[in-house]
Amino acid sequence: MLRVEHLTKVYENGTVALRDVSFTVEEGEFLVIIGLSGSGKSTLLRCINRLIEPTEGRIIWNDIDITALDEAGLRRVRREIGFVFQEFNLVERLPVILNVLAGRLGYVNPWWSVLYYFPKGEHQRALAALETVGLADKAHNRASDLSGGQKQRVGIARAIIQEPKLLLADEPVASLDPVLAHSIMGYLERLNQEKGVTILCSLHYLDLVQRYATRVIGLREGRIVYEGTREDIRRMTDEEFKQIYGEEAQRLGG
Amino acid sequence: MPKKILRVLYTLLSLGIPGLGQAALGDVRRGIYIFLGAFILAGLSVFTAAQRARFPEQVYGLSAAALLRLGLASLVIFLVVRWVYTMLTRRLAQDEFTQRIAEGLFVALVVVLFSLVGPSLIQRLLPEEALKQLYTTLLLGMAVVLAWLWWWNARDAWNLAGQQETNWNGFIALVMVGTVILGTRIVGIDLPKAIREYRETGRILGDILWPWRAAFDYKATELRATAKIQAPCPPGSTPPPVNEPTEEGPWVVVEPTCGELSTRDEKGKLTYGTLLHIRGGGFVPGKKVKIKWENPIGNEFTPRGLGPTEIRVGPDGTFTSELYIPDVVIPTFAKGPQIHKLHVVQPGALKFTGKLSREMKLALQAMLESIMIGLMATFAGMLFAVPLSFLAARNLMFTLRTSPQGLVGGVLGLAAGGWVGWQASQRVALWLGGLEKAPVAVAFFGFLLVGGGALLGFRLLGWALDRLSQHLPGWANAAIRYGGFALIGAAMGWPLGLGYAHGILGIVWDPEEVAAAAGDIARIGAGLGALAWGYLAYRWGNSGFVPIGQWVYTVTRLILNVVRSIEPLIWGLVGVIWVGLGPFAGFIALTIHTIAALGKLYSEAIESIHPGPIEAIQSTGANRLQTIMFAVLPQVLPHFTAFSLYRWDINVRMSTVIGLVGGGGIGFLLIQWIRQVQYEHAGLAVWLIAITVSTLDFISASVRKRLV
Ligand SMILES: Nc1ncnc2c1ncn2[C@@H]1O[C@H](COP(=O)(O)OP(=O)(O)OP(=O)(O)O)[C@@H](O)[C@H]1O
Ligand SMILES: [Mg+2]
Repeated sequence: MLRVEHLTKVYENGTVALRDVSFTVEEGEFLVIIGLSGSGKSTLLRCINRLIEPTEGRIIWNDIDITALDEAGLRRVRREIGFVFQEFNLVERLPVILNVLAGRLGYVNPWWSVLYYFPKGEHQRALAALETVGLADKAHNRASDLSGGQKQRVGIARAIIQEPKLLLADEPVASLDPVLAHSIMGYLERLNQEKGVTILCSLHYLDLVQRYATRVIGLREGRIVYEGTREDIRRMTDEEFKQIYGEEAQRLGG
Repeated sequence: MPKKILRVLYTLLSLGIPGLGQAALGDVRRGIYIFLGAFILAGLSVFTAAQRARFPEQVYGLSAAALLRLGLASLVIFLVVRWVYTMLTRRLAQDEFTQRIAEGLFVALVVVLFSLVGPSLIQRLLPEEALKQLYTTLLLGMAVVLAWLWWWNARDAWNLAGQQETNWNGFIALVMVGTVILGTRIVGIDLPKAIREYRETGRILGDILWPWRAAFDYKATELRATAKIQAPCPPGSTPPPVNEPTEEGPWVVVEPTCGELSTRDEKGKLTYGTLLHIRGGGFVPGKKVKIKWENPIGNEFTPRGLGPTEIRVGPDGTFTSELYIPDVVIPTFAKGPQIHKLHVVQPGALKFTGKLSREMKLALQAMLESIMIGLMATFAGMLFAVPLSFLAARNLMFTLRTSPQGLVGGVLGLAAGGWVGWQASQRVALWLGGLEKAPVAVAFFGFLLVGGGALLGFRLLGWALDRLSQHLPGWANAAIRYGGFALIGAAMGWPLGLGYAHGILGIVWDPEEVAAAAGDIARIGAGLGALAWGYLAYRWGNSGFVPIGQWVYTVTRLILNVVRSIEPLIWGLVGVIWVGLGPFAGFIALTIHTIAALGKLYSEAIESIHPGPIEAIQSTGANRLQTIMFAVLPQVLPHFTAFSLYRWDINVRMSTVIGLVGGGGIGFLLIQWIRQVQYEHAGLAVWLIAITVSTLDFISASVRKRLV
């Protein structure tokens, strides 16, 4: 169970990105975060694994206070939290397989790993993860040679191999076309349903939200302005959606 | 007061002191610029003009007076000319274009006028002494410029007071002209000399530009014929036989083949010995032959004052001559008759042998040395620059923070670990046999133990205190913070105080006074340091973070910048002082500079990488080293390679000149040959440098293009 308590983030330049945000995510939920551009979705997700240091508030995950961890503790928690990025953030010059194996960096012997050596078992695990996302044949290509959708699948494989209990996805499909978007979301849904991974995902498209979310929270100017269950979202009309989301909102189908 | 009078008043102010009118009108900055411009130009003129004297400082007054005189005269002439000119052009120049042309003509007119009347003006106005001791032409030129500036400044004040448009054009132009006049004198630019000496230069330059004859060995082909002569000639001895003329090749016949040596008494008076008749043939007609004498122990010399030693060969290849047997000093052990030789030598053409000359071989060897110095310095530089560049990368270092307690623990651990390491290294050194016996091993283990100990202490105690502080009550943490910070401050302040005492006070104080006060000053320094750090402890508070990465970044950058801004030639001096003349000194110099230069380039490459992969790798729970190896290194590697190649290129170029200060390589050879006036050989070195550098330049440029 993830509990976010009174989370506030003020950037160094004075921008208040999150104001007193509190919510709880139960194990196995697929929570979707919606909100206008600049409403603080990325900031919220990055605060949870402390890619960004929160200014105030606490983040409790299975009784661990993530905000109070030292570096070593943080690393131990991070390895169980996957993160999928909008821009994929692969290491372009490394082969796909190493990009996936990077997901094991928190588990393996650090001294071997800095020489790019991973035990055989890890290689098999990585290949299996690539299999899951249908990219086993690309294992030895350079990451830079892949298309956008393939890159995001590698990103997901990297998260899968972490064997995460929690997956944070920051607009994972925003730079992909609709068909790819559904396939990527499909992988997340399978992780959620088959492996019971809790998922926090920010999304832009109403139909994706309605299709995948079990719960939704809406952010506006760093505050939670909406919380809804699966049923609430199903009933939600475009107009309601636009109220939270602003005029930018749209359906994937157009 | 009427506006007109005010305007005149301000103009007068500026005429009194340049810029004063402008300042009084409220444009203080303009006033200061004008004043400084005029003042500096005038001061430099006085100073530079006086440099002609043997004791310049004694003629500054004379110089200033001369400038004033010439200045006033110039002002008068200038204003008169200006007035006449204005009168003449008032009606003529209506549109702007004509005005511009007229202005240009005016400037030309002033220049021509002053160069015509200049000499007589100087003669008339200046005392004899000034003519002898000062650069008067310079003074006249500057006087005209300054007079003009004065007038411009008054006009400027007038325009400003009348709220008319003003600009800087005249000022800038005049200051530039003044600077050029001064610069010509100071640099000693002497066009006539450059033109006069071009012939001589041309010859030498020719040697340098096309030195390739010096690159090879030539065999001197010479014709040589020899006759044996015995001296002295006691009765009963058997003298060598008389030569016969031969059909082919050169021959010489000397008669008699036996005679008495010339002798020289103590006063140097010569008594002739036997006269020899010499006939020779088979030599190249029309060219000279030389007569040489070889004494019994094989020394060859040209006999002087005993007969002709250079004879022109007749058209049939023969010649005749006479020579008294020279006065040869015979070693005392050689009693009795000795065999001497008379050589007839005719130097012939030089023959190309196809072998490299000694100098060419030397130059090639030195070139190789230079290339290697450059290569090795690049490698060594890279080795140190890579880790340093990570410390000098803003994006990596600024995320590095620690708690105040962690910092206290870290610094204490650093000191303690370093001390333990030092102690251990002393033991190890003793065991290894001391610095004299095994310097490398001792230094290596010393660095390893001290550095490792310090690092370990830093990590361990830093971590421990950081953890501990999470379980301590607030007051205990505060105590650690204030106490620890005060201790750090004191430890930093102490050496600073000592440095101040010896370094700053030591300049003016008596050494004994300094020694007596140093302790107290160090204590004061420690106290001040403790106070300053106490304040820092207060500022960061209990939960605050110390931006330790930012400090490391700043210090590293500072050091890199300072080292980089010192020229390799100066580092070369350091190297020569350190390890003596030779390539090793050059290597050290280039390595030091390379570390700083590459460190900066590398760190900029690191700063320009995409942050995304770093975040992604961090999200997997990777530690710092893993993050660097997976997210940073792959991104920067091509840049690192390109920069290293580029640096190699630079290093080879630098290594060719590092020899000038004794750093080995081809520069060393070059400067030697130049000093020995062997310009042809110097030319060889220059050519080799040019060929090598441009080749490398080409290679590294094309490789780099492919990389990035
Ligand atoms: N590093 C930063 N420094 C300062 N301000 C920032 C920084 N990152 C984000 N912000 C600001 O914080 C606010 C929230 O940004 P955030 O990226 O969390 O929004 P978002 O909801 O993810 O937007 P988008 O949908 O465009 O990705 C914005 O106003 C943004 O300008
Ligand atoms: Mg975002």
